[in-house]
This record gives sequence, structure tokens and C-alpha cells, in this order.
Amino acid sequence: MEVKTAVFAVSCAGAPSIGARALQKERQLNQFLAEIERRALRIAEIGVRDRDEALDLVQDAMIKLVRNYADRAKEEWTPLFYRILQNGVRDWHRRQAVRNRVMAWVGRKPAADDDYDAIAAAPDPSGRAPDEELQNSEAMQSLETAVHELPPRQREAFMLRTFEGLDVAGTAIAMGCSQGSVKTHYSRAIHALRDRLEEHRPGHDGPMEGES
Amino acid sequence: MNEQRDTFESKMKDAFDESVDALDAATLSKLNQGRHAALAQLHGPRQRWSRWMPATGAVAAILVAVVIMQSPTAVEDAAGVTTVTDMEILLGEDSLEMLEELEFYSWIDIAESEAEIG
Repeated sequence: MEVKTAVFAVSCAGAPSIGARALQKERQLNQFLAEIERRALRIAEIGVRDRDEALDLVQDAMIKLVRNYADRAKEEWTPLFYRILQNGVRDWHRRQAVRNRVMAWVGRKPAADDDYDAIAAAPDPSGRAPDEELQNSEAMQSLETAVHELPPRQREAFMLRTFEGLDVAGTAIAMGCSQGSVKTHYSRAIHALRDRLEEHRPGHDGPMEGES
Repeated sequence: MNEQRDTFESKMKDAFDESVDALDAATLSKLNQGRHAALAQLHGPRQRWSRWMPATGAVAAILVAVVIMQSPTAVEDAAGVTTVTDMEILLGEDSLEMLEELEFYSWIDIAESEAEIG
């Protein structure tokens, strides 16, 4: 009897209880979301050009990830999260397109992307000199505008690869397409941005000068 | 070419990272709230169960009340039928008469036995 009790005690001590596992999972998810949320917000914001809408989209993505994929391996969370977020951004654009058609039909001017004030939405200064801050704001504004004007799939590939740092395989999962498609979209995005941001390239005045 | 490309991309990445690092406190607070709202989903099933528990309890109480109200009648009926049927068998008029004239039936039995011998 004592032997059985001892064996039971050892087995219980070796394997974490259900409550402990749940707590550990919650901690891991909290850490993951805390690490990813700010970049995700900026990526969504560049996609929809509205911070409040971007906040809603990021929160929806967090909720769906926790609800549907909490039990997946941690390594899968990043591409899954961005897949949810990108789907949200695409749905948002579809809804906007419908809304704009309806607004045009009833004779009201639809909200245009041009209404987005990138300077107003720009981050707060963080101790930098005004001219440096202005230079950085202008650089980010130019970059945001250029990225936003990319075709949607190129924009997704570029932001996931460059801003979030996903590899080709992870980007393919996030975009729901093949790795070959990711490479194509990404390559086209880089070429388009290079052309678009030429004024910031070497030989031009601007924040991106200094490249060789 | 590759080096130039890498530098171009890293410059864009740096500009993006700066914008991420400089997000204002109000936005960070909203992100924090959103994250905790999302994590609350982990306790979703338990919350749903708790929300429905009062309704489930009320339904269970009504069912128990109905059973209790119905049960005495059913038991009484069943017991009544059983009791009357059994008593009719056990205490029928013929049985009582046989018990009252037990000595007479015993005498007939003895007389018939003696006649068979004789």
C-alpha cells in the first residue's frame, strides 16, 4: 500500500497538473502576444491607414489565435497570428469597398485614403532633435505610403518578410500560398519600393542616404 | 547587389522598428487591454458554464418539483391496487368459511379414509 502511494506521489510530482499546464500556456501566450502586438499594430496600420481600425484588427487576431490555436506548438503561433491578421485586413478592405460603393450610390463622398494623416498618426517624439525627428517621420511617411500603395499580396509579403522577419515558409503559411508565390510577391515589392523610394536612395538627399 | 539590397531593406526595417518603439502610451495601453481580453478566452468555456448554471439549476429544480408532485399519486395508486388485489385473494369469503369449518373438513377426511379401508 505504501509502495503504491509512493509511486502515485512520484508520478504526480513528475507530470504537471492540468491547472499548472493551463497556467503555463497562458503565460506563454501572454509573452508571445506582448512581443508581437506592437509590430502587428504597425503592420495592420500600414495596411488600413487607421490606427483605431488597426487596434481592432489586432485584438480580433489575438482573440482568434487564443480561441482556436492556443494548443498548437509555439513555433506555429507567429505565422498563424499573421494569417488571421492578414485575413482581417483583407476583409476590412472588402467592407470598405462595399461601403464606398454604397456611399457613392447615395451621392456622398466616400472616405479616401488621402484623409489619413500620417504625421498625426506618427509616433510621439522620443527625445530626438526636431530636425532628426522630422527626417525620420518623413522617411517613415514615405515608406508607409509606398508600402500601402503596393498591390495587397506584395504588401503582405513585404511586411511579413521585412518588418516581421518571417522566413519564406512562415510567410507562405501566413499568406496561405506557396513559397514560390511568396518569393515572387516579395521580389516585385522590393523592386516597386526601390523605384518608388528612389529619392531616398544613394546620391539623393534623404534619410535613406548612406547606402553603398 | 545583394549587399546593396540588404542595406536598402535594413534601412526600411530600421525605420519601421523606430516607429514601433515610439508608439505612444495610450496605444500601448489599448494593446495591453486587448491582449488581456484575448487571454480571457482561455477561460471561456468555464465562464459560459457559469453563465448557464443558474438557468440549469432552475430547470433541474422545476423537474424535481414536478416529479415530487407526481410521484405520491402514482405510488398511492399502485399500492392501492396491489393491496386490494392481494386482500381479495387472501381474505376472500370462501377462504374464511374454510377456516371457520376446519373441524368439519377434517371429520369428512377421516370418514372418507375409514370407508375406503372398510
